Amino acid sequence: MQIKPILAALRRHKAGTILIALQIALTLAIVCNALFIIQERVSRLSRTTGMDESNVIAIANRYVGPATVFGPTIKTDLAAIRNMAGVEDAYATNSYPLRNGGWSMGVRLIPDAKKEITSTTLYFVDDHALRTLGVKLIEGRNFNAGEVIMLDPRKSTALPQVIITKALAQKLFADGKSLGKTIYLSQEGKPSTVIGVVEKLQVPWVGTWAGSFDQHAVLLPATLDANYQNFLVRARPGQQEAVLKALPKLLIDTNRMRVIPEEGGVRSFEDVRRRAYETDRGMAILMGIVCAVLLAITAAGIVGLSSFWVGQRRKQIGVRRALGATKGDILSYFMTENFLIALGGVIVGSALAYGMNQWLLEQFEMQRLSLVYVITGVVALLLLGQAAVLAPALRASRVSPVEATRSV
Amino acid sequence: MFAYYLQLGLRSLRRNPMLTALMVMAIGFGVAASMTTYSVFRATSRNPIPQKSDVLYMAQVDNWGPENTEKGEPPNALSYIDAMALMRAKKASRQTAIYPIGPSVIPEDAGRLPMRQGAYAVGADFFTMFDAPFIQGGPWTSEDDDKHASTIVIDRKLNEKLFNGGQSVGKQVNLDGRLFRVTGVIDEWNPQPRFFDVVNTGGFDDAPGVYIPYNRAIDLQLATNGNNNCSSDPGEGWDNYIRSECIWNAFWVELPTKAAAADYKRFLQGYASEQQRAGRFRWAPNVRLRGVMEWLDVQHVVPPESQISLAVAFGFLIICLVNTIGLLLAKFMRRAPEIGVRRALGASRRTIYAQFLIEAGTVGLAGGLLGLILTGIGVLGVGLVFPKDIARLATLDPSLVLLTLVVAIAASLIAAFYPTWRAAQVQPAWQLKSN
Amino acid sequence: MLKMSHLAKVYRTEVVETYALRDFNINVKEGEFVAVTGPSGSGKTTFLTIAGLLETFTGGEYHLDGVEVSKLDDNARSRIRNEKIGFIFQAFNLIPDLNVFDNVEVPLRYRGMKAAERKQRIMDALERVGLASRAKHYPAELSGGQQQRVAIARALAGSPRLLLADEPTGNLDTQMARGVMELLEEIHREGATIVMVTHDPELAARAQRNVHVIDGQVVDLAEDPRFHAASHLADTAS
Repeated sequence: MQIKPILAALRRHKAGTILIALQIALTLAIVCNALFIIQERVSRLSRTTGMDESNVIAIANRYVGPATVFGPTIKTDLAAIRNMAGVEDAYATNSYPLRNGGWSMGVRLIPDAKKEITSTTLYFVDDHALRTLGVKLIEGRNFNAGEVIMLDPRKSTALPQVIITKALAQKLFADGKSLGKTIYLSQEGKPSTVIGVVEKLQVPWVGTWAGSFDQHAVLLPATLDANYQNFLVRARPGQQEAVLKALPKLLIDTNRMRVIPEEGGVRSFEDVRRRAYETDRGMAILMGIVCAVLLAITAAGIVGLSSFWVGQRRKQIGVRRALGATKGDILSYFMTENFLIALGGVIVGSALAYGMNQWLLEQFEMQRLSLVYVITGVVALLLLGQAAVLAPALRASRVSPVEATRSV
Repeated sequence: MFAYYLQLGLRSLRRNPMLTALMVMAIGFGVAASMTTYSVFRATSRNPIPQKSDVLYMAQVDNWGPENTEKGEPPNALSYIDAMALMRAKKASRQTAIYPIGPSVIPEDAGRLPMRQGAYAVGADFFTMFDAPFIQGGPWTSEDDDKHASTIVIDRKLNEKLFNGGQSVGKQVNLDGRLFRVTGVIDEWNPQPRFFDVVNTGGFDDAPGVYIPYNRAIDLQLATNGNNNCSSDPGEGWDNYIRSECIWNAFWVELPTKAAAADYKRFLQGYASEQQRAGRFRWAPNVRLRGVMEWLDVQHVVPPESQISLAVAFGFLIICLVNTIGLLLAKFMRRAPEIGVRRALGASRRTIYAQFLIEAGTVGLAGGLLGLILTGIGVLGVGLVFPKDIARLATLDPSLVLLTLVVAIAASLIAAFYPTWRAAQVQPAWQLKSN
Repeated sequence: MLKMSHLAKVYRTEVVETYALRDFNINVKEGEFVAVTGPSGSGKTTFLTIAGLLETFTGGEYHLDGVEVSKLDDNARSRIRNEKIGFIFQAFNLIPDLNVFDNVEVPLRYRGMKAAERKQRIMDALERVGLASRAKHYPAELSGGQQQRVAIARALAGSPRLLLADEPTGNLDTQMARGVMELLEEIHREGATIVMVTHDPELAARAQRNVHVIDGQVVDLAEDPRFHAASHLADTAS
């Protein structure tokens, strides 16, 4: 109702107006992107692995000594672990979800195709893997003990039978029906037949680079004949703590010639998950703190400058009251004034937000800022502005009309 | 006069405690946010070997071709064939091939458990090139290299574990059942970022404790403990593996002058075209010779989290500045009558500037002190966001303390400039008349 | 038009009560031009602020245009100020951030008038005070006399029943003061009711009727001995 005269008055207070608008604009730009980063990180760390993660323990183990063949040693270890009180099942592998290190490979349907269809991770496992991981087999069958071989890691990785994830099956075959079909895991390689499909199993990496294939996994029935082995163990419900404590001693007693790192050598899967997403969670927390402090500082700035303006304009508020303005008129004058400034700020701020996002996008493989965050930020800042100006505006509305007759 | 202005400033700040508190907090938070993130950025982007970074170079030779590489960038490591060829050519004043290995040290005392050691297979030049600080003995010789000798250099920590810190030169160390003769012990040495092995460590890791000759490691068929990338199947067995185009070696050279560097670059070009002529490379020579800092930059050693948070913190500081400008403007202009009186009493514009800038500087100092406390808390909290290898490098050292205070005061003076200018424009006569 | 009976205004502090007005009686008829005079501190300005509904009073009755105003709430009082009263202040009280046109528009805005009508009224009022050509100027660009004319235009634009003027020429030199006074007389001739507070006897003499306020009370000029003393002093001074 009184937009035009407010704008006219603001033109006479350029510095203050620009300062508040600029502050709102910059805050919007940062808050939008920070919210976006939070969302991105939180959605990343709330992904599920497809495993039944509770009661699982991961062991990093390295055999020492001049030996070059490890098959018998691994078998002895596994037998010892499986016979342990409180252990449900266990297997040895090159890697597992969230380990942040493993084997990736291109998958083809035509062996000598130049370009692979997609990437996948390779998990070398045995017939105990599905039970230990708690992964659900939705089609076909599990490996049987006779299919599992010892494999020289420098040899070809292709094996005759594989189990793949549903996501990979859908990526490779238009109808998603992969059972009995043939896939190729190396350019020169031999064919592998899909004998089973599991519902879901994540890759070892949590970073963005594996984002495009984070549910693509191939399970191969082999144990790598190498001195480095990861053992995954499923404890019986309620036994995880006890098993976790007893495992290092059991392994050392079974065979002294090994190294299990003191830190992170034997850890619960909860620990594995916490470590894997440490940076993501930290980043989300940091951005959350930044948002909160920024909004508080911006609000404080608006309160400060608006109070100053009200103080500076006491006389003219009195005159307006004398000329017939109600308290409501004065209140709405200051609220509208703030709204107009904030509106200018959020318009510039939206552009800045996209600019900043563009920069992040080019530098750090982030995604395009979705409109929802900009709208959320805009609404939040407009509301913040209104809330911050409320107290000074109320003080202004309480200026008595008598003020008009006082000479300063 | 300074004391008088300072007194005026302090009095004025006490008069509006709320406004003053707001400004001090804005500056404090802004400065703390930027300094905390800067401490991480500084730690990750620093020069790990300032005294020699301009004479050390990492060599790259493209053995994969445009089909298997991206944007014309050669692979970030070398094949054994190329590393060996460059090593034999000895075209630089010093050179070394490097790859990480993962041996376990088996103590002589059978009662003690084996220990896992971070280790590298390197050439004899490695230690002199990178200024590794010896506390006993020295590097093995290049004859040892040529003889594929079983020699070893260990660090102080391992020397303490194995030999209780005593003289160990000439003694034996057992790595996975094989004996190596100690030629020297180096102090704890862990240049960060680890420029000579960025590819496998990302730049940050615990100090390695063992170094053995490259040639001996190859003889023992010790596979790399780091990344191994193959563009095609190497075939079976170790001999096929080291003859393959799989890449897993770093190759560093020391070139004392720019001219020597240019010569070496030409040598690399020549080597690559030779390989092309021999039919091994089916593409034009594509080589790189990069200095330490350039190499760290190309390998993105600074984590994206550090860069993003530094950028965000910088924006944060700017917002705090804008905020402070607004608040100072309010504070100064509220005193327009006072300024008018002062001007009428003979204060010049310059003295008004001095008075108000000193007042702003006081706010900056207070903000800086608050910022210092918050930075301290922030640095402690760095571990929440960044991996521990990086977090422990971020510290509140004297230079950061000084920088924090300087930034705070500079920021508040910059913020004060416009409001002070406005205050100095107040006309004496006009303000003395009734408003 | 304006009738106060036994009106009292008390300022209370923690320790003392000060009577600004006490048993104050006045009756201004429609179309009158009344000058309220008195020494400074006599309560004449308090009278004006109460008359203009800028302040409340402590006791007695005040009828404005037949309405007893003490029962009205803040919003109703605002509406009466807006629709029935025009103010002319000693310090002009133009809003420095707004140009002449926007200043005159302020009371019309609060009345919720349509834009076309507002414009018509503003230009009429400015025409009347002879400043139509200065509509886009800001107050700081005008002389004191011109500013007061703008203030008068602002007071007139809403066609108020009652015009309240507080030392309208107090901040002006003689030349400008005369012009403003002539303008007020002209407005009065056209039918407006004007109540003017002044301490200038010369100005007061030009009004139809004078009311003298001393110590917060209206005094009968003919009977009060203090008046004779004052007028005697005035005589000797001139």
